[in-house]
Amino acid sequence: MGRIQLKNVTKSFGDVQVIPPLDLTIEDGEFAVFVGPSGCGKSTLLRMIAGLEDLTSGEIEIDGEVATEVPPAQRGLAMVFQSYALYPHMTVRKNIGFPLRMAKIEQAEIDQRVETAAKSLNLMDYLDRKPADLSGGQRQRVAIGRAIVREPAAFLFDEPLSNLDAALRVGMRLEIGELHERLKTTMIYVTHDQVEAMTMANKIVVLRAGVIEQVGSPLELYHRPQNEFVAGFIGSPKMNFVKGPEAEKHDAATIGIRPEHTDVSMTDGAWKGRVGVAEHLGSDTFIHVHDTGLADMLTVRVTGDISVKHGDTIYLTPQADQIHKFDAQGLRI
Amino acid sequence: MSDRKLPRLLQTPAVLLLLVWMLIPLGMTLYFSFIRYVLNSLRRPEWTTPNLSNWRGFGNYEFVLKSKDFLFAIQNSLFIVCSILILTVILGVLIAVLINKTFPGQGIVRVLLISPFFVMPAVNAVLWINMILDPVLGLQGIAIGSINELLESLRNVPLVDWFFSLWPKLEPISFRATQTSAYAVIIMVTWQWTPFAVLIFMTSLQSEDQQQKEAAVLDGASAWSQFRFLTLPHLARPIAIVVMIQAIFHLSLYAEIEIVSRGNGNKNLPYLIGEFANNNIGAASATGIFAVILANIVAFFLLRMIGKTLME
Repeated sequence: MGRIQLKNVTKSFGDVQVIPPLDLTIEDGEFAVFVGPSGCGKSTLLRMIAGLEDLTSGEIEIDGEVATEVPPAQRGLAMVFQSYALYPHMTVRKNIGFPLRMAKIEQAEIDQRVETAAKSLNLMDYLDRKPADLSGGQRQRVAIGRAIVREPAAFLFDEPLSNLDAALRVGMRLEIGELHERLKTTMIYVTHDQVEAMTMANKIVVLRAGVIEQVGSPLELYHRPQNEFVAGFIGSPKMNFVKGPEAEKHDAATIGIRPEHTDVSMTDGAWKGRVGVAEHLGSDTFIHVHDTGLADMLTVRVTGDISVKHGDTIYLTPQADQIHKFDAQGLRI
Repeated sequence: MSDRKLPRLLQTPAVLLLLVWMLIPLGMTLYFSFIRYVLNSLRRPEWTTPNLSNWRGFGNYEFVLKSKDFLFAIQNSLFIVCSILILTVILGVLIAVLINKTFPGQGIVRVLLISPFFVMPAVNAVLWINMILDPVLGLQGIAIGSINELLESLRNVPLVDWFFSLWPKLEPISFRATQTSAYAVIIMVTWQWTPFAVLIFMTSLQSEDQQQKEAAVLDGASAWSQFRFLTLPHLARPIAIVVMIQAIFHLSLYAEIEIVSRGNGNKNLPYLIGEFANNNIGAASATGIFAVILANIVAFFLLRMIGKTLME
């Protein structure tokens, strides 16, 4: 069980309030991702849930019980750190068994639970190695193993994949997703990478400067971003924003159109521009278009390959039903 | 090959200088240890100049081995060195962990803690033996005197007088005595060298990974368990370094022993060499060779023990 509720939680470092009053509920079994630019307070929030940071005011409830004053170890939460935080002097076996040893569980049971965890994470061959002899992905799995053996009410991940290379990151993403399907335990995952958020989450919490900008499922955030910030943050490449007369045509201060929702033509269309850099990915082509008179640069995404050259004239037409409209305050209309 | 020759050629003068620096004294010591060589002898004036015709073979070594102080000096050397090592490492770890936390006045406290290390050994010994450990005029004498006075006055207070009359009168300890002079040296050298250990341990503690600590907190580790399973293993290497450096330094203690009791009840090999060297250079040289052998035995064990820690 792991229903986590934050009620009116605030955090200040000295005079600086990094998290203004904030309410949030994470249901049991959910995979919640806190996402936002660096310095937005997402890690602080996670550390407050873990008990590593004190709350300035407000309450945290875990399974309906107030946990604000409960010491970290007794909250029943397990955390996986960005640097893995493995104990360098212990073997993998001892690392994974450490929380059980601290809980004064019998050695026979520790061995058995460590082996079960190691099996599920493909770590059986490495049990007697030290962390220094493991690769980044293996270390990450050991850190996850150390969290699993505790059978926690919820897992907390603090940017666990940011130290891995791109290929390994995709693999570990799947493994963590798989783990969540298997265990059905609540997971809270902090990342600055919106791709990780989109692919793994049931529920994404977008944060900016300690304020929750929007909470919702990945597709909700993609299709109905509540403000310009969320619209710009979710989706890759970034949404294009157009201000001025073109936006007024749609009765909005700003309109947003995603690169993938813009049709491209070499002969005619709504907006005329000049091709800048074209990024050919094979499956897609990202074309950066200049001199449209609407914004510094518009990005469009074309499926498959399209032969355009630097300097070509190009016409863009936004798909009418995919235009996001925002008012002067940046809120969705 | 020529690209290797040049650096070697450039290193040669330094290496040669070091070799000469080491080999000449060692060679002379070896030579003197096999001949009769004294500084002053009215009866045998020919012994006052080193000469191969005064060859004595292993006679000097036999003489040293049979002298009553030799075995005692070796035991005492090891006793002093080991005691200082144990005390400085334990105190050093405790103090370093204590002052690693942030607190007001941290900078001043750290400077004060390090300062004993900058006191000269002879000054250190004079200060301790006269101002602190002296049974009459030192801090010890004054403290014990005042406690005795306090006890005396309490014996005259009604109701509690029976209790305090059970207490004996405290006797100050004379640290210049045969039985205690080694302890005085251990105390003063420990005081002087604990800052060294603190300094090394403190820098090491500052490089300790904070996320590991946080992970341990979440894993339910108490403050003691964190110290036992994280901090102590983290300090293994600096402890090895402190032990090695101090072992080398303290085998050659001299000033403190000289000042505390002039070797009375407390000799080590260097002090014995000094005593022999007052006249009998041959015996002093033989003792010197024994000291080299002892130092090598200690270094051998230390390097094996520490090499293992450093390899990890």
